[in-house]
Amino acid sequence: MIDRITRPAVEKINSVEFLVPIEYSLTEKVSLFHMKHVPNDTCRLDLYFDAGKITEEKGIASFVNGVLLSGTEEKTSQEINEVINGLGGYYDSGVSIENAVISIYCLKENLSKIFETLMDAILNVSFIEKEVEEYISDSKQRFKLGLEKVSFLAQRAFQEVLFSNDSRYSKNTELNDYDSLSISDLKRFHQENYVKGLTKVVIVGDVEKNEIDEIIQLCLPICSPKTTEFTGDLKNIAGKKRIAKEGAIQSAIRIGKIMFNKKHEDYLDFIIVNTILGDYFGSRLMSNIREDKGYTYGIGSWMSELSNTGYFIIATEVGHEVKDETIKEIKFEIDRLQRELVPLAELELVQNYMLGQLLKSADGPYAMMDLFLSAETHNEDLDFYNLAIKSVQEITPKRIQNLAIKYLNWESMSIIIAG
Amino acid sequence: MIKFDRFTLGNGLRVLFHKDVTTPMAVVNTLYDVGAKDETESKTGFAHLFEHLMFGGSLNIPEFDTPLQLAGGENNAFTSNDVTNYYEVLPKQNIETALWLESDRMLSLAFTEKSLEVQRSVVIEEFKQRYLNQPYGDVWLEMRPLAYQKHPYKWATIGKELKHIEDATMDDVKAFFKKHYCPSNAILTIAGNFELHEVKQMVDKWYSDIPPGKTNNRSLPDEPIQKEYREKSIERKVPSNAFYYAFKMVNRTHPDFYISDTLSDVLGQDKSSRLYLSLKKEQQLVSSISAYITGSIDDGLLIISGKMNDGVSFETLDNSLWKELEHIKSIKIEGKELTRIKNKIRTSKEFQDQGILNRAMNLSMYELLGDAEMINDESRHYQDITSQELQIVANNIFNKECCSLLKVIALKND
Repeated sequence: MIDRITRPAVEKINSVEFLVPIEYSLTEKVSLFHMKHVPNDTCRLDLYFDAGKITEEKGIASFVNGVLLSGTEEKTSQEINEVINGLGGYYDSGVSIENAVISIYCLKENLSKIFETLMDAILNVSFIEKEVEEYISDSKQRFKLGLEKVSFLAQRAFQEVLFSNDSRYSKNTELNDYDSLSISDLKRFHQENYVKGLTKVVIVGDVEKNEIDEIIQLCLPICSPKTTEFTGDLKNIAGKKRIAKEGAIQSAIRIGKIMFNKKHEDYLDFIIVNTILGDYFGSRLMSNIREDKGYTYGIGSWMSELSNTGYFIIATEVGHEVKDETIKEIKFEIDRLQRELVPLAELELVQNYMLGQLLKSADGPYAMMDLFLSAETHNEDLDFYNLAIKSVQEITPKRIQNLAIKYLNWESMSIIIAG
Repeated sequence: MIKFDRFTLGNGLRVLFHKDVTTPMAVVNTLYDVGAKDETESKTGFAHLFEHLMFGGSLNIPEFDTPLQLAGGENNAFTSNDVTNYYEVLPKQNIETALWLESDRMLSLAFTEKSLEVQRSVVIEEFKQRYLNQPYGDVWLEMRPLAYQKHPYKWATIGKELKHIEDATMDDVKAFFKKHYCPSNAILTIAGNFELHEVKQMVDKWYSDIPPGKTNNRSLPDEPIQKEYREKSIERKVPSNAFYYAFKMVNRTHPDFYISDTLSDVLGQDKSSRLYLSLKKEQQLVSSISAYITGSIDDGLLIISGKMNDGVSFETLDNSLWKELEHIKSIKIEGKELTRIKNKIRTSKEFQDQGILNRAMNLSMYELLGDAEMINDESRHYQDITSQELQIVANNIFNKECCSLLKVIALKND
């Protein structure tokens, strides 16, 4: 009989092998990063633009991003899509608070052709009235759909109190914003932030150097000369706010505050505190609120980063009738981190888990590129993750307690309950 | 080409090993041949509730997640109408932890009353979060019993109603385990940078003493051939009217499966697809429209769904949609259009095969279907499809008498 009682010995992860992409400088500020070691024919290309939500009011940033393939003087949207899809390409685009990204997923043999069509489409988009109107109508429908979701309502309200002192960051798009959009506003935004707004290019794929050079040539004229001032000074309004949603059988809860990003001296240690609290399946929030009380399908916490600051957030959806109990339990878990030292067995588990996850985050060219970008965005190199390993290995229960006391003061939190 | 080795233990456990020298991670994937279709109609949602209980402790191990996290790993699971699949991803040097955990819960579960109570609430909250408290969240709860009248695909994995989950007893759950969770009803796939002999030795160590259990010879009621058009309307507080057309299609191993999937791509995969161009861009009837297949093992569904623009009637939509369907039946899909569809399938297949976890899961699924080797034929099946085959299958599928339509009518707020 084998021994099923004793768990097999576990080997600790002591180092992770990181792969650095090749960097090509297009201008002083704009670079192309290329991860060439892809063992198959897949490839991904991302274009980053200084065209995030804060760039302009009334949802213009999201709007322009959404109609980038809507047609030029020469080509209709159908013709553009036909070329990209015809070559087996997948197009994706998105806007975050501080930037906008366009991505193509395709086989490497089709990258150059797709890229050429893509660049022509996004640089020469002519904002055809019919296309713009259709997009307005679709956006309104999506917006109304969002208003039916407690998670959407909570997220909007959270953004308002979280970024309270800077309206560029806090202001949400409203339904009637779409009605006051003018095509000339869209065109101006596009000229300023896309035609002259490229901030980064990323390629993952076994693509030849001459192809990279061609892509660089096409990118050079649109590199951003701007120096956008991203704020480092955001303040959240502490306290509780309820958003009513008639008929909702679940409530969405968001709790958080302005914190910091990778540049802060406490960041690496604090993400360990965050992991213990709410960032893995065995976390204290999950163990208590899901696995002990059964209040929710899931609860989590994480650190979200902006260019010059960052925030901490706890999010969950729970049965309407247990929303206040849930908040009580969240507070209990935060208090417990401040009051008691984390037991060594739990700390060992979190250390091993975090190192295992870092190993996974560096596994394969796509994951490796994302890991690299997450550091590069904050002007860090991959050595940052060696510091992260060291931080995980060396942290003490006392240090965790001190950080919980320093940063997780309940009175400083913004709390939103929707539904 | 995805290479693998295969061996079977004395107790009937089928094992696949896929070697990947490029990754520091290992995957342990366990597929059980049990899904929501194995439930009885008065006790639905069980396979899925059970999946949750699989983390509540086994014979020799009080709790599943802790030792795995201690080994630097993570895990998850999903339940479908056909199967229940569990996986662990962890640093390769710690793979024995995953095998120890998975083999012990295959041997015997030992969850407590408390664990049942908690997971019952968790699943009820999942039911609310994903199906009841979302606009259009309950359409599949309505669609399934409309499209299927006999076959157990007529209820959703989450269950027919909350009450079935509320009423589940300890005895029910234990009986479910005994019936379905045993080596002869499972496929274990291991992927990572190992040698075959190492894998054999580890698997033998952890699994060979588990009693085989009974093979589950299921006999599910066949869904009778649909011979009449079905339609149902539901009123919901949603922002716009929506439609879900469900057409009966073949099962997963039928040669027409890939052709049907390709037809759904022709109709509604992306912004170059026929329905998007015609119903949205040209006629402006819908704000979104797409077509896809359910991909189930037994006879499946090809779904066309979308949301309507304000002021458009269901009748107008229906007429335009059927015009497109008649078109695809009468005129062959050729040249550039077919090349585009095949190119997209190639790209998506290459990306799917990228991740080691995906490869392990797909290998398991194909082994369940009959032979894991089929994973390497998939691309060829798609690339070999001809215009003629598409036309024939379109004529088999797009007929009113094998169509079920669910209309969601938006109740206005005022």
